[in-house]
Amino acid sequence: MLLRMLLFAWIAASLIAGFLWAPLVPVLGDTTRVFYFHFPAALLTCVAFGWSMLHSVLYLARRDLGHDAQAAGAAELGLLFCVVATLSGSLWAKAMWGSYWNWDPRETSIFFLMLIYGAYLALRSALDGEARRARLAAIYSCVAFVAVPFLIFVVPRLYFSLHPEPVLNARGKPDIDPRILLAAAAMFVGETGLFAWMLALRVRVARLARAREVA
Amino acid sequence: MPSASSSSAAAVWAILRKECRSEWRTRYGLNAALLFAIATLTAVSFAVGRLGDRPDLLAALLWIVLLFASLAALAHTFVREVEGHTLTLLRLTASPTSIALGKLLFNLLFLAVIELVAVPLDLVLLGGPPLHWGRFLAVLALGSVALAATATLVGAIIAQTRGRGALFAAVSLPVLLPVLAGAVSGTRAQWSGAPVGAELRLLAAYGAAMLGMSLLLYDHLWEE
Repeated sequence: MLLRMLLFAWIAASLIAGFLWAPLVPVLGDTTRVFYFHFPAALLTCVAFGWSMLHSVLYLARRDLGHDAQAAGAAELGLLFCVVATLSGSLWAKAMWGSYWNWDPRETSIFFLMLIYGAYLALRSALDGEARRARLAAIYSCVAFVAVPFLIFVVPRLYFSLHPEPVLNARGKPDIDPRILLAAAAMFVGETGLFAWMLALRVRVARLARAREVA
Repeated sequence: MPSASSSSAAAVWAILRKECRSEWRTRYGLNAALLFAIATLTAVSFAVGRLGDRPDLLAALLWIVLLFASLAALAHTFVREVEGHTLTLLRLTASPTSIALGKLLFNLLFLAVIELVAVPLDLVLLGGPPLHWGRFLAVLALGSVALAATATLVGAIIAQTRGRGALFAAVSLPVLLPVLAGAVSGTRAQWSGAPVGAELRLLAAYGAAMLGMSLLLYDHLWEE
């Protein structure tokens, strides 16, 4: 309980820091603030999907349904953060590029990620029997594991991007004000805590549901 | 446990022959895919006329027609076994890997037949600048391998779901998008005379990665 209060206080504090303490980037103006939602959510999407894949592989190796609950929960939550990142990015694109969506490579890759994990969850809903569902979903997750690097790193290279450079640019040092970076990093830490808490809940619910089925 | 010999080339060859024979008995998948390709091409060509000066559109249309015409049939090799209740018997006679490789080879052959009809028809109906044959065939071949490797594996998963066919397109398209992107980009590039090395590498790497992943995963596919 205390931990949860601390978590919410931390997220609130990082948001306030982002809005009041960190400066605005000259050209971007007020749209700088989208960064505090967009960047941590996008990073967390990768963490969540990576976590899901890791547990899918672990499930295939060890056949422990706990890994399956982790994989499914992380995929659901990752999709949630993916939607946050996409929507916030789209709003920012409307303000800066003049349209909500124009198939910029970054938009394309995150859209593909949403499609893949939407398909993963649709597949789960169509499989009967928890062992079979866990096994086949884990196999699909491994297939996605092959596709995702291509979708994120290779396919976008075929096109030209307008997306701002990654935080660490080619010269290896951050271009933006350290205060902005600190606020975004704090937000990321807070959201990671949120993710861990929600995932733990989701895994516990799955375990209880399984226990009730067995009983 | 399947013996070492059952995953040998002989078993793969036997599965391939069995697939060809059972497909040839009904020709259900072949007829459906060919008619789908022809119907789509006719509809597109009727709706937009000749697109000789738009290689970008031509490349996209060609691959979309190929993709959708072949998709349903590529999953069919496994769905047929489940619906005919023959999968258990098949698994008794061969190892998962040789079943998978046999079906993959069959799907490749199947794709080649579809392409043999659909590609010339597409070029005739929609027009287009002259082809650079070497590059075009390389893109077509590597694209087909990547497409078949991916669709065969996803088809094996899908065959075990409720409502099999309905989900296949939704589940396989996201993982086929790199293939589609690479193949369309390569086809477009060869029409404008540009090099297609990057696209060929993308398709080859994707096909190889998917094939490697398949070999690792097929042992986990059937357990009950």
